[in-house]
Amino acid sequence: MARKSILQIVGIALGLCVLTACSLISPEASFAATHPQELGAGRPICSECHSNDVAKGALKPYASFDHTPTFVKDHRFQANQDANTCASCHAQSFCADCHGGKVPMKPATRLSDRPDRATPHRGDFMTQHRIEGKMDPSSCYACHGRANNEKCAACHR
Amino acid sequence: MKPRTQVVLLATLMTATAWGQEVSLYGTTMAQMWKQETPGFDKNTFTPATQYLGIDATKLGTDNLSLHLFGWGRTDLSDVSNFDGSKSGGYLNYGYLQYRFDQANAEIKAGRFTANQATGFEQVDGVSVRTDLRGGFSISAFGGKPVYYKTVDPRNQADYEFQRDFIMGTRLAWRMPKVGEIGLSYLQDGTKAAKDLDIPSPVDYTRKMLGADFHIAPASAFDLRGRTVFNVANERTNTAEHDYTATVKVGDQVTVTGNYAVRNFNYYFAGTNLPSLFRQDENDQFRGFGGSITWNASTVVQLVGDYRHMHRETFGDVNRAGGEIRWTASDKTFLGGVGGHWVNAANTKFVDPATPYRSLSHKEARVWAMVTQGKLIASLDAILQRYDSENPYLVGVRNVYEVVGSLGYQATTNVKVSGDISYGSTPVARHETRGLLRAEYRFGFAKKGGR
Repeated sequence: MARKSILQIVGIALGLCVLTACSLISPEASFAATHPQELGAGRPICSECHSNDVAKGALKPYASFDHTPTFVKDHRFQANQDANTCASCHAQSFCADCHGGKVPMKPATRLSDRPDRATPHRGDFMTQHRIEGKMDPSSCYACHGRANNEKCAACHR
Repeated sequence: MKPRTQVVLLATLMTATAWGQEVSLYGTTMAQMWKQETPGFDKNTFTPATQYLGIDATKLGTDNLSLHLFGWGRTDLSDVSNFDGSKSGGYLNYGYLQYRFDQANAEIKAGRFTANQATGFEQVDGVSVRTDLRGGFSISAFGGKPVYYKTVDPRNQADYEFQRDFIMGTRLAWRMPKVGEIGLSYLQDGTKAAKDLDIPSPVDYTRKMLGADFHIAPASAFDLRGRTVFNVANERTNTAEHDYTATVKVGDQVTVTGNYAVRNFNYYFAGTNLPSLFRQDENDQFRGFGGSITWNASTVVQLVGDYRHMHRETFGDVNRAGGEIRWTASDKTFLGGVGGHWVNAANTKFVDPATPYRSLSHKEARVWAMVTQGKLIASLDAILQRYDSENPYLVGVRNVYEVVGSLGYQATTNVKVSGDISYGSTPVARHETRGLLRAEYRFGFAKKGGR
């Protein structure tokens, strides 16, 4: 009998928690799943079309998503905060070209027919990494610290 | 995840596509060939064949449910090109079901996915949820089994998986329109820290990280964003990283950015599976600052100038400066760029006379172009690095270069075939010629993909 009462109390408490949580959820409609217009090659400047607007969902000026050289290099900040906005134009496979966890070839080879895209390790990075890696191994760590390092391990045992 | 479990999961997910009202299948088939002649080693011919395959199936019974799969397989048709000696390999990069709610940007993912909303960038076999809350708040969380990668020493593999038994992360954020966003996140990878084991392990594969990120963008002309990450695995909280970037737009044409970053290695390298390279006992620090100026001189021409100063306590200073001009025709039938950079590594410490890093100072030049003419697409990419002085690493080669030419034919909107030839000279291979054939195809409805 006591066990049944405890279960009833737990059930009511859980129900109240769910109701409270649901009441906290924003009533706003979700951000568009897909950009209505397909964009071609090159780096889009979002604010050219979306002037003086705040991106729905992200609640930031569209200029924050302009694909400037700095954006392309440091896009992790936007991706961490506003993955939904990225997903309206980019499929997950676009990210996986570089951030695949385990990839069969370096992104510069995979995309060797797309010199317009910024990909790491273009040219002979084997020589370059001796100074880049020595100077700032933390820049290597982001991609090779916990994954994608079988090639590194061939020498760095 | 065990191979058997992967096969079952993959088969289950693949059959789910049958319910999809809009199914997109896309893939790339690549065949490479190159010969390598390295002094002291046998001559080798490599011909790996690689297949990438992705599926996006939407509207699985309901408009909000979708399935996303992407992975690759590879086999060597001649000499082994994999460093682990295997002739074939493959990997499921992601495979998850997603339910996207019409309200509050809420979504649920289940399967193998990438989680990047917390302090890290994690591959997880598990569940992820996110939603916007009232008052500008949002919350996200994920949990499950971490995806395992190989370790250097297979004898440590069992301990690696044993320590990393569970991964979870969460982020709580608050955003205000035209002001910005602030977020707090927590990541825990593994529950069996090396120091807590009955027989303490020399390498700790676990992590506990706390992150604080913010973004201030009161107007289109100003943007400040960054994050600080703390390592909270020990009793004392230690700073692993500060990374901040400010962007100022001057008029419609000029953008100025500045960045400052600090990373403390022994806290930042937590959880590595390559401890010989990313040493967890290394009491060293990196500090860097830099900036860039981008001038959109016209709708088709963009000029970029950049500078970066890097300082590592045990090594010294390196400065990198340069610029690039990019040209994009209004109809995008021509994209091109010319760039040059100078890297000065003169102010570095001579740790070992046999490894004179300072002579890795060099100049770099890059020229590239991509032309579309009807169904034909051609591109050229040439990179040259000229090192200022000789050193043993370069084995007499001071001009290191690579030229890649590509010619493609867009047979239909969704099918493209292309071939690349590259030629280069490096300290490893004085003369290196590579060939690559590529077939890309896409069937279905998807518009996304960032082509």
